[in-house]
Amino acid sequence: MKRSNTLWSWIVMILGILYFFLPLLATFIFSLKAKLGVLSFKAYANVFNDPAFVYNFSYSVLWAVLTIIFGILLFVPTAYIIRLRAPKLRSAVEFVTLLPFVIPAIVFVFGLVRTFSQPPLLIVNSPALLIAGYMVLSMPYMYRAVDTGLRAIDVRTLTEAAQSLGAGWGSILFDIILPNIRVAILSGAFLSFAIVIGEYILAQYLAKPAFAPFMAYQIQQKAYEPAAMAIISFALTWAALGIIALVGRGGGQAQVGGGH
Amino acid sequence: MTHLSLTNISKVFAGTAAVQDFNLQVDKGEFVSFLGPSGCGKTTTLRMIAGFELPSTGTVTIDDADITNKAPNQRNVGMVFQAYALFPNMTVAQNIGYGLRIRRESKAAINKTVEEMLALIHLEKKGNSYPHQLSGGQQQRVALARALANHPQVLLLDEPLSALDAKIRVSLRAEIRAIQRKLGITAIYVTHDQEEALSISDRIVVMFEGKIEQVGTPFEIYNFPQTAFVASFVGTLNTATAEVIDPVNRLLQLDGSQLQAAEGLEGRQKGDKVTIAIRPERINFLATEKKANIMDCRIENITFLGSVVRIQVLVGNNRFYMDTFNNPFLELPKIGDKDQVTCSREAVLVLKG
Repeated sequence: MKRSNTLWSWIVMILGILYFFLPLLATFIFSLKAKLGVLSFKAYANVFNDPAFVYNFSYSVLWAVLTIIFGILLFVPTAYIIRLRAPKLRSAVEFVTLLPFVIPAIVFVFGLVRTFSQPPLLIVNSPALLIAGYMVLSMPYMYRAVDTGLRAIDVRTLTEAAQSLGAGWGSILFDIILPNIRVAILSGAFLSFAIVIGEYILAQYLAKPAFAPFMAYQIQQKAYEPAAMAIISFALTWAALGIIALVGRGGGQAQVGGGH
Repeated sequence: MTHLSLTNISKVFAGTAAVQDFNLQVDKGEFVSFLGPSGCGKTTTLRMIAGFELPSTGTVTIDDADITNKAPNQRNVGMVFQAYALFPNMTVAQNIGYGLRIRRESKAAINKTVEEMLALIHLEKKGNSYPHQLSGGQQQRVALARALANHPQVLLLDEPLSALDAKIRVSLRAEIRAIQRKLGITAIYVTHDQEEALSISDRIVVMFEGKIEQVGTPFEIYNFPQTAFVASFVGTLNTATAEVIDPVNRLLQLDGSQLQAAEGLEGRQKGDKVTIAIRPERINFLATEKKANIMDCRIENITFLGSVVRIQVLVGNNRFYMDTFNNPFLELPKIGDKDQVTCSREAVLVLKG
C-alpha cells in the first residue's frame, strides 16, 4: 500500500515537471535554431546586440527599482503603523492588498487612464503613474512580505524599548524595524522585480518603454529572438527567486528573546 | 526628598478603570515594587510613568518637573521589559550604546560607557555577541545595562525576571538590587511574585483592581497587612471571621474559642463581625509554649516542606495552617488527634473593612 502510494507520488511529480518544463525546453531548443542546421546562441547574441532590447530592458529594470524603493517607503511604514497602532484595521488592509488579484490589469489600467488623463490630475504621461500602477500590482507581495516580517519580531516592545532610549520614529524605523525585517523586504523586492520585468499591460497602455511590450512586438517580427527573450526573462525571474531562497536561508533573523 | 511623584493618577480604558486614585511619592534612590495579581493596574501605572500610556487624570512629576504629557523619548526614564527587547540586529555593545548614539554622544564617550556597563553586568567578553547568542539571564542583564547607560532619572522594570527559571531569577534579582544600590538610582519594579517583591524592595505598593491596597516596607506588608486582600496575597495567612465580644479589652469569639487581639478594634462595637488573620508561623502547639490565646483543634493534615513542616488544623469550622521549623527530633502529632494550639495577642491581626 505504502509502496504503491510512493509510486503514484513519483508519477504525479514527474507529470508535473514535464508539464512545466517541456514547453520551456521546447522554447529553449527552438531559440538555439537561429543558425540553419546547428544549435547556437545566435538568437541570444542578436538580442543582446539589439540596442532596442537594451533600451527597453534597461527601462524595465529602472521601473522595477523605482517600484521597489517607493514600495518599501510606502508599505513598510504602513504595515508598521497598522501593526502598532491600528491592529483592528489589519483584516481590512489585507483585503485591499489582495485587490490586484481580483481586478484584471486591463480594467485597472483603463481606470488609471480615465482618472489621470484630465485635470486636476493630468499625469497620464508621467512615469510616476506607471510606477504607482506597478506599486499597486506588486502590493500583494510587498505588503504581505513586510507584514509577515513584522509578525516575526515583537514590534511593540522593540519600539517602546527604542523610545525609552530616546529614539524618534525615524530612528526606530531605520535603526530597528528595517534591519530586522531585511529578509522579508528582500523577498518582497525580488517578487516585485519579477512582476515588473514581465508586466505587459500597464507599460503597453501607458505607452512607456518596457521589456514585455518590446518582446510582444518582436514576436510579430522575428522567430527565434522572442524565444531567446522568453528564456532570458525566465532566467531573470528564477535568479530573483533563487536569491530570495539564498538570502532567506543564510540570513535567518534573530528572534527577540530566547532560552537559557 | 521626593524624586518621583504620582498624584491622583487614573487610567480608563473603554469605560473601564484600570487605575484609580493612585498617589505615590518615591524618594531618590528608593526601590519601590508594584505588587499585585494580573490586571491589577501595576503595569499600566508603570507605563504611565514611562509615557507609553497617558493618564486619564492626574500628574507625573520627576524632580518637580511635570512630565505627564511628555513623549516617551523626551523623558529620561529607562525601562527593562519582561521580553528583554534587545535589538536583534545589534551586538551587545551596540545595544548598550544605542541610547547614547541617539543623543549624539562622541564615539569615545559611547565606548567608555559601554565598557563600564559591560563590567557592571559582568559580561565584559560579550560585547561583540548578538542577543540570540546569549542566555535569557545574560540578555536581561544587557537590557538592564542598556537602560542604565543613558543615566536615566528613574529606572522602570516590568516583570524583568518572569521569563527566567527559578535559580537565575533569584541570583539576578540580587544583582539588580546590588546595581541599583551602587548607582543610587530610583527604581520602580513591577512583579506579581510576592517573594521577589519582599526580597528586593525598600517599599512595596500592593495593588488590587486598579487601587492601592497598602504601601509599606516589606516588613510592614508581611507582618501587618491592612486589608483582607493584602493578607491573602502576601504570604500564607489564616483568615477567619470572628465576633467582637469586648471592644475595650479587644476580645473576640471564634467558634467557641476566645481570642484577644493587641489592637485593631478601635471603633468596633460588641457583636460586630471582623476578619482576623494569623500567620502560620505564629501559631504553635500549647504543649510547646503557652501564649495568650488558646484554641482547641483537630489535626487534619501534615505536609513536609523541607525546612518547614506545615500542619493543617481545624479550629471550630476554620481551617488553619501552622508552620513549624523542621528538626530531626520533632515529634509530630497524628492526623485526627485532638490538641490545643496557641498564639500571642500580637499575632491576631484585625483587618480593615
